[in-house]
Amino acid sequence: VGCPLGEEAVDWCLYQLNGAAQFEVSEADIISTVEFNHTGELLATGDKGGRVVIFQREPESKNEPYSQGEYNVYSTFQSHEPEFDYLKSLEIEEKINKIKWLPQQNAAHSLLSTNDKTIKLWKITERDKRPEGYNLKDEEGKLKDLSTVTSLQVPVLKPMDLMVEVTPRRIFANGHTYHVNSISVNSDCETYMSADDLRINLWHLAITDRSFNIVDIKPANMEDLTEVITASEFHPHHCNLFVYSSSKGSLRLCDMRASALCDKHSKLFEEPEDPSNRSFFSEIISSVSDVKFSHSGRYMLTRDYLTVKVWDLNMETKPIETYQVHDYLRSKLCSLYENDCIFDKFECAWNGSDSVIMTGAYNNFFRMFDRNTKRDVTLEASRESSKPRAILKPRRVCVGGKRRKDDISVDSLDFTKKILHTAWHPTENIIAIAATNNLYIFQDKVNSEMH
Amino acid sequence: MEAQKEAQRIMTMSVWKLYHSRLQRGGLRLHRSLQLSLVMRSARELYLSAKLEEAEAGGEAPCTPEQSADPGQPPPEERAAPADCAAAPGATEPMETQESGGEPALAPASPGKRPARGVSLPGAGKGSRKRRSSSLDKPGAAEAGLAPSKKARLEEEAEGERQPQGQDGPFPSLAKVLQHQFAGRLRSGPAKGPDPPTPGCRPGDGAVLNILVRAVVAF
Repeated sequence: VGCPLGEEAVDWCLYQLNGAAQFEVSEADIISTVEFNHTGELLATGDKGGRVVIFQREPESKNEPYSQGEYNVYSTFQSHEPEFDYLKSLEIEEKINKIKWLPQQNAAHSLLSTNDKTIKLWKITERDKRPEGYNLKDEEGKLKDLSTVTSLQVPVLKPMDLMVEVTPRRIFANGHTYHVNSISVNSDCETYMSADDLRINLWHLAITDRSFNIVDIKPANMEDLTEVITASEFHPHHCNLFVYSSSKGSLRLCDMRASALCDKHSKLFEEPEDPSNRSFFSEIISSVSDVKFSHSGRYMLTRDYLTVKVWDLNMETKPIETYQVHDYLRSKLCSLYENDCIFDKFECAWNGSDSVIMTGAYNNFFRMFDRNTKRDVTLEASRESSKPRAILKPRRVCVGGKRRKDDISVDSLDFTKKILHTAWHPTENIIAIAATNNLYIFQDKVNSEMH
Repeated sequence: MEAQKEAQRIMTMSVWKLYHSRLQRGGLRLHRSLQLSLVMRSARELYLSAKLEEAEAGGEAPCTPEQSADPGQPPPEERAAPADCAAAPGATEPMETQESGGEPALAPASPGKRPARGVSLPGAGKGSRKRRSSSLDKPGAAEAGLAPSKKARLEEEAEGERQPQGQDGPFPSLAKVLQHQFAGRLRSGPAKGPDPPTPGCRPGDGAVLNILVRAVVAF
């Protein structure tokens, strides 16, 4: 534990930190999702207040070599507002649950953002020129006095300060009775799916007034309800395949070519429970909080409360790899149930080459596991421990026995500081870590020095 | 005994959380409700089986659940636990589990003593009730407790109205549900241990789940 990863020995250092200091946090500023786009040029974050902030990476510049790779705020907009469902007497939170980028097809960028009920498609365009020299209107747009117009002129496009415009192009509403937990864009770039606790819908990006229900696990009698859908994702290459995870810890791979309604899975991935670990909370901690296909499409990564697991699509009986994130919490499940931490939903991520996986934990710690060397590391995202450009020091949680200096004991962990959302750049060693209201961007030291 | 106490504490905590999850912004969350219900069910099963073992080990009069549940009793007063079967019927408190945290409804009932219904919190000054889980120490718990007391009384009235009809309204009180649930369990026999894998094969098992989920679906 604590060794650098891989043969290239990645040293992580803080590149950027966005967000106010901890004592000024308002709940609306808490980041609820982080997502890189397909090239890694853009990074989007959503927060509990319904806002989306997009960062853009500065292009390489010979003049200022150190500013390469810096993610600057590109655009901020209000994606969702709180709503009230009068029929059910329920407030609908504006918190952004997920953001997914669409592959870029022209000069504009597009992304999908969703709260508990409504998915929206946003188009982000740049405007850096504007027409000047109208005949009938002056510079401010006011109509000219026609008597002053003596000749005709052709308006010309003149450069202006870059303006980023964000417009809602589609609003996909009323598709879900229950709370939407995930969205995923299909590799066909025409459709996407949205999943709530009991159903998954397939939408066409251009059609908002209807969607197809492709999975429905709602029992005829709700008394028989035993599991819910917790996450879902399309296969990165096969547009007919998708996976969804359940609160019982199982994964179901479905093929849309097999039938219109994919209630019957093509493959069921499930690991039998270890009877020695059984407790009151066994069912809760086995619930899968996130599922991600590898970039290759060959593997799936799942996160449950205490572990991350790698599954091979060709083997349904058990995962091929299991990594303990914070097994020392196993004896503390009752306290974690009491303070509600046991319900926390951690996400997980692959690096670009599918060789390293990452997930968050408590005390602002996040963990990385190298699948090849089997080494793992615990790092911390905090202002105190991250000086810009200084290499992050690996952290260690001691569970009794020999305690080294700088080790932190299990009882000193701050459970209010949780890293639920992390993202890895699609190709480079750049990671975005959301710690409450702060966004940390860490880069590989080697990577940042090269530029 | 320790396991029993722990189970009871967890049950109480779960009910408190279930109640409070209704007040959350965004409404009742199905996944959370399901998880809470599952924990409560596990804890309940352990509690009941521990109680049964204790009764058998204690060498009391062979007290099978069937015997202890006097069929002659009106439903709301069926006892929660098979112990103390010597106690007069009606001696156990009904399970007024709306009250946050401090619900000792499952404590071994003092024979012959019948605490008032609808009153729960130690904070309310009722000396007969022991302090329960540490969730009471949570800030705001006392404050939160005031609401349940009021609610319990309202539901008491509603319950009283409904009883003659013998049917639950669309939103039966949590207490009534749990009473029926326990009654169902007692009638059907002691807990069998780990859940059989097939979901829904034990009727009446998901009563709490049923109620919560019905509340969601009813909307």
